[in-house]
Amino acid sequence: MIMNRRFFLLLILLSVFFVAGVADSSPSDFVVASPTASSPQPVLLTDASNAEAVSPPAGNPADADTDDYKDDEYNDSADDVAREERAEIADPLEPVNRAMHQFNDKLYFWALKPVAQGYKFMIPEPARISVKNFFSNLAFPARFLSCLLQADINGAATEAGRFTINTIWGIGGLLDPSSGKELNLQTQDTDLGQTLGVWGVGQGFYIVWPVFGPSSPRDSVTIAGNYFLYPVSYISPWYAGVGVGIFEEINATSLRIGDYEALKEAAIDPYVAFRDAYAQYRFKKIKARKAKINPSAPAEEKSPSDNSALPKKEE
Amino acid sequence: MFKKFFTVNCFVILLAALFIFTIRSAAMAAGLFGPLQTVSKETGGLNTAIGYFYHEDTYKNGVDHTVRLNEIYSQAAYGAKNIWEVYARAGLADMKIFDIFSSTDAFIMTDRDNFEANWEFFGTIGAKAFYPINSIWGIGAFIQGTYYFSDFTDTVSGTKGETPFTTELKVKDFWNVNFGIGVQAALPYGIKFYAGPYIYYSGANVSMHSYISVPEYYLDDDTIRNKSIVGGFTGLDIPLTKGFRLNIEGQFADRVSAGAAISYTY
Repeated sequence: MIMNRRFFLLLILLSVFFVAGVADSSPSDFVVASPTASSPQPVLLTDASNAEAVSPPAGNPADADTDDYKDDEYNDSADDVAREERAEIADPLEPVNRAMHQFNDKLYFWALKPVAQGYKFMIPEPARISVKNFFSNLAFPARFLSCLLQADINGAATEAGRFTINTIWGIGGLLDPSSGKELNLQTQDTDLGQTLGVWGVGQGFYIVWPVFGPSSPRDSVTIAGNYFLYPVSYISPWYAGVGVGIFEEINATSLRIGDYEALKEAAIDPYVAFRDAYAQYRFKKIKARKAKINPSAPAEEKSPSDNSALPKKEE
Repeated sequence: MFKKFFTVNCFVILLAALFIFTIRSAAMAAGLFGPLQTVSKETGGLNTAIGYFYHEDTYKNGVDHTVRLNEIYSQAAYGAKNIWEVYARAGLADMKIFDIFSSTDAFIMTDRDNFEANWEFFGTIGAKAFYPINSIWGIGAFIQGTYYFSDFTDTVSGTKGETPFTTELKVKDFWNVNFGIGVQAALPYGIKFYAGPYIYYSGANVSMHSYISVPEYYLDDDTIRNKSIVGGFTGLDIPLTKGFRLNIEGQFADRVSAGAAISYTY
């Protein structure tokens, strides 16, 4: 009952943020800043992300969301058309966000990472990957619904097929036969926030949620949606579900220790770096989803760098 | 009072004789054995399967009874070099023993005749080895053991004369071990045919708990074991598509049992 009330309040809060966030969004959320544009710390897209700015090969748009390596290759061959661009996100809550960023940073270094390291030491990697597969399989409903809401019938069928095969022949999802070479049913990397993005909803402003991390009003829908669509949320009593969630996070962290540290080390201002990386990441995801769903759309999708309202980039 | 207690005890013992000791020689449950040769990759790898097995058997102890089990299970196996495999299964099984509650005593009336228990958990482990003689023929052997973690329980009500009674019968700690050898032939289209004899051995504890109009009465567990019984098995393993295979198998001991499984090779 308490949990229901808590999440009802969370939903209201998210709704307020959502409305405010969408209202705050500019016609194009992702604006291209010229190198001379003022910014606290511009973070330019790397090669990999730059590929997202360039329309995918016309003959193979559906692969855009699943094959980053192909994007890299394509990008290498298209250096002449590559443009430096970055996606920006409004940050009216920066003081609060910075505090939340600090909180999450300390939570990671003081609690999550040490526990994950101990867990990593004890549990062999194949077992940890199996646990990750298991929870990924459980998260099927959110991905399936997102695909349906995006009218991505092929994606929804793929997710349903993955869930069926991995549950039955993957020992309840511990194994992932669907991703094998023969079946080749890959996870549809989508969520409800992306669904709203595909529908044209702006992401609004930047929010750093405690524990959950970087988000936006639009993408916060994912947090709420995942709660209702994730079976672990329904484990009773509630603290057992929380325990399972913590275990899932520890397991996931154990498989990516070092990634966060590397990005943080490389940045002068980690907060800005993570904010921009988050904005670019989401931009990339949503653009890839749009390209997959509507391959007949003009290849040169309205790129942030094509916004005539913005100053042209200096060559 | 003593006379009544004595009468009840005699009555319970009679029920016990009817319900327990007649299943002393029950021969039950085996499960699919599968092809003698592993379907895992030669370099070593997993294969997983789901399966269904319909098992029937009869036993005799003055009167014939038929035991029937439906089993559904999930299996994970690891094999290598096309010669060996170990596997484990987890699944659910129900049990029906026909006419176990019917009585030849005209004074005993029961509300039904069959023992029926709902789905209970079981686990199986097994291993198999295969020796290829040539590109077509090969011989192999397997050993497989199953344990049913949950009790199979059913209750019957009735009267003896005018005395009502309720009896709960439990089949507990049910297990079986199977060992078989066989030959396997490689047919066109990657189909494998296999057949051979097997022996199996099973045991369980059976208890009866009766509620009569006087103080509750129960009998201590009684262990039932079947004699080693020889049966035969034969089956086909048929490649489907994209790494999936269909395995169909029949077993014959006192009665015919059959099952099918769909496996996926990683």
